[in-house]
Amino acid sequence: MSAAGLTTHHTAPTGLPVSPLLSVRNLAVAYGRIRALHGIDLDVEPGRIVSLVGSNGAGKSTTLMAVSGILPLAVGSITFAGEDITKLAPEARVGRGIAHVPERRRVFGGMSVRENLVLGAYSRADATDMEADIAELTQLFPILGKRMSQAAGTLSGGEQQMLAIARGLMSRPSLLIMDEPTMGLAPQMIDLILDTVQAIRARGTTILLVEQNAVEAMRLSDHVYVMRLGRIVHQDSGSNIDPDRVKAFYMGVEA
Amino acid sequence: MDYFGQLLANGLVLGAIYALAAVAFTLVYGVVRLVNFAFGELFMIGAFLTTSLMLDEVSLFGTPVPMPGLSFPLAALLAIVLTAGLGVVVDRIAYRPLRKAPRLAPLITSIAVSVVLQSLAQTIWGAEELRFPEFSLAAYPPVVLFGSIYLSVMDLVVMAAALLAMIGLTLFVSRSSLGRAMRASAEDQTAALLVGIPVDRVVGAAFAIGSGFAALAGLLYAQTYGFAHATMGFLPGLKALTAAVLGGIGSTPGAALGGVVLGLVEALGSGYLPNGSAWKDAISFVLLVGLLYVRPQGLLGRPELNSAGRGSLLGGAVEMQGWLRGLFGRFDHALEKSAGHGGKVALAALAAALVIGALVPSDYWLRILTTVVIYGMLASGLNVIVGFAGLLDLGFVAFWAVGSYLTSILFVLVLKDGFGIAPQEMWWLFYLNLPLGGLLAAGFAVLLGTPTLRLRGDYLAIMTLGFGEIVRVVAINWVGLTNGPMGIRGIPLPEIFGIPLASPRVLFFFAVALAGVVLFLVARLVRSYVGRAWVAIREDEEAAEAMGVPTARYKLYAYATSGFVGGFVGVFYAHYQQYISPLNFSLFENIILLMLIVLGGLGTFIGPFIGAVIWIVFLQLAIDIPFVQAHPETRFALLGVILIALMLFRPQGLAASARVDLTMRGARAKEGASDEPLGRRAQA
Repeated sequence: MSAAGLTTHHTAPTGLPVSPLLSVRNLAVAYGRIRALHGIDLDVEPGRIVSLVGSNGAGKSTTLMAVSGILPLAVGSITFAGEDITKLAPEARVGRGIAHVPERRRVFGGMSVRENLVLGAYSRADATDMEADIAELTQLFPILGKRMSQAAGTLSGGEQQMLAIARGLMSRPSLLIMDEPTMGLAPQMIDLILDTVQAIRARGTTILLVEQNAVEAMRLSDHVYVMRLGRIVHQDSGSNIDPDRVKAFYMGVEA
Repeated sequence: MDYFGQLLANGLVLGAIYALAAVAFTLVYGVVRLVNFAFGELFMIGAFLTTSLMLDEVSLFGTPVPMPGLSFPLAALLAIVLTAGLGVVVDRIAYRPLRKAPRLAPLITSIAVSVVLQSLAQTIWGAEELRFPEFSLAAYPPVVLFGSIYLSVMDLVVMAAALLAMIGLTLFVSRSSLGRAMRASAEDQTAALLVGIPVDRVVGAAFAIGSGFAALAGLLYAQTYGFAHATMGFLPGLKALTAAVLGGIGSTPGAALGGVVLGLVEALGSGYLPNGSAWKDAISFVLLVGLLYVRPQGLLGRPELNSAGRGSLLGGAVEMQGWLRGLFGRFDHALEKSAGHGGKVALAALAAALVIGALVPSDYWLRILTTVVIYGMLASGLNVIVGFAGLLDLGFVAFWAVGSYLTSILFVLVLKDGFGIAPQEMWWLFYLNLPLGGLLAAGFAVLLGTPTLRLRGDYLAIMTLGFGEIVRVVAINWVGLTNGPMGIRGIPLPEIFGIPLASPRVLFFFAVALAGVVLFLVARLVRSYVGRAWVAIREDEEAAEAMGVPTARYKLYAYATSGFVGGFVGVFYAHYQQYISPLNFSLFENIILLMLIVLGGLGTFIGPFIGAVIWIVFLQLAIDIPFVQAHPETRFALLGVILIALMLFRPQGLAASARVDLTMRGARAKEGASDEPLGRRAQA
């Protein structure tokens, strides 16, 4: 792989090495007899926005689903905050601080906005601050405050995306996984959502993002992984991110 | 007015019980989309546990065992808790491993669990009724309303208990954290997992609550009718399921409404219609069929529930390892080819059957083999609709019954009893009846199939179940046509030119010849454009429709073919058995046939026969085990256990690697070549 040897070790502003919040090693996932991932290695340092880009079928969502524990691993290991979580159940991973905002939003359409938010905090033992958290999230997403008792299924696509993000944040995650948060949204709404992504990072939440829109993803991210056919074929960090190189890998015409 | 009022009161009591059991079906269906047929048996177990706990001594496994002799409320509470625990265990063992399996697998498993529980209950408590003990509350004088309507105190307790349980459940589901998690899991299990809901435990809780409701319904039923019995859960279970579907499955208020409507209709129908109490079971199912026809989602259900969901009923076949795969695969592939071109392989199979028939020395085993062939043929007929077209049919026995009754009525009731003509003089009529019975049954099938065209998935299964039950109830009660429960005796054996085919060997050969006809017919259809349309409907009905397949027409073809085979085999069956009664055509027989094709492999030609061999031979061999000799019903329990194990480890059936796939030859080779190195080639 030509990508090997590029920057893989990052340093915090102080210059000291930082241990990654999420670390995936040699991850492979199979759907029946079909291998979807062939040994993925990736690291997400705390406080950063890390993106996975790649065309359809590259294995981005599969990687995220494996990190959340929805898909079983064929081989490999996942370490989160220093703990091996490879064998943990999905709900236990939420409890450890991983929240996943799934592709196509998947809000609970028959339930009210408030119920969706309350469900987001299901893994939390301390139900006391829940109202405070909901109030805080309605500051981040004012439109949700006006729709509290409305059924989530009646919201617009952009509003549902906000709800899905807010629902994820209700578990007070240290890592927020977002799968295609701008899919099928109007341009204005896309800008709003991407601004929100930065606002969430500014609150101290680490973000692992999958985004079809590679240009926007590169603009936002501290580190970019390019995936193709179940492998990571390129990665770039910080100011080194070269849009043309990433695009070349994305399109499959490697230099 | 007095009479009407009393019927109304009786209907409400019955409706309250149905409603409670309907809640069990609706709750679990709502969360995991599973029609858990075993709730009928948990209903029965709730009744047995309560009865046993209230007595001082109960005979278990034939030996008297001392019991605590608890009071009614205490015994009831304990029974509900125990049954809820049993429900959780059943979910853990039999259903949880199948959450991602093809949809048919958990449904079949639930039927198998039902069979196992019923057989076990019979082994434990015996085949006799266990009388419900007297207790003080039940001994109070009845309450008299409006001077003429009598209600026992326990009737009031039943209604109050049902009302309280419903209100409690509604509050629980809408207000509590666990209830919210249940609704979330019902909407989207993956999303529920992602927000940190332990979905498995939530589903377990739904099973516990559902089983508790079933137990409550069962013990109230046992108290009302004064007994507990191993088979008592079957019909009320079906009625409760009917009530749940009537109200709109998945909706708790719907289940309550459906239960009350069903209870009232049954009470009023049996009170006012001529000979109403005999027909009351048919009334419920007619109501069900009629309602599903005009409003497929039920009274309060949401329309989207009436969709099969994307994906196949059967799912992809995981490759089976070892010699079994090679054996079945080759056999089935040979049969598949034989349908396309040349009868060489088919002839070889036929020759093999003939050699077996010629070499088996005992008449006893020849009869067993003939039964295998008959069940294999019937299962092949059912396989057309379930395995190839992907429409779950629980009313197939009706077609079988139509063929059997047609020939029996003609030969015995019309010719012999009506005109005094000996069957020998009209021996050729049998050969005429074979296609005639098939055509009549095919006509019935189209008649029954038409109203089900709007339905999908589980709703379709329940409607066909209703049809099957209606035909059975008619066969029992229309004594003038069918001789009723007495059945029809003295059906002549098949003859050729006045020579009866009396030898078991000849009858076996005859059955094999008919099986050849059936397989040839089915294989020709499946390998034609009709078969391709069926498989398209099976794999994705909406996509098939979008591709221009007139799905309604091809579904009716599937019903007709299935019905024809059922009627055709039914004619032979009647003459082979020489006696038929409505008992031969129960829902249980339909379930057995379904088990046979699932066991052997849905959508394969050989699967039904493999299933039949395993089942019938297993039944015969099991007879020799001493424990089974003492408790004959455990044979069914054993079969149920085998089936559950099979579903858990190989839900696609034994011969599924031989699933008939309808790709052109050549296309398959190309597909194989591009399997793995796709990535490498793209990079090269």
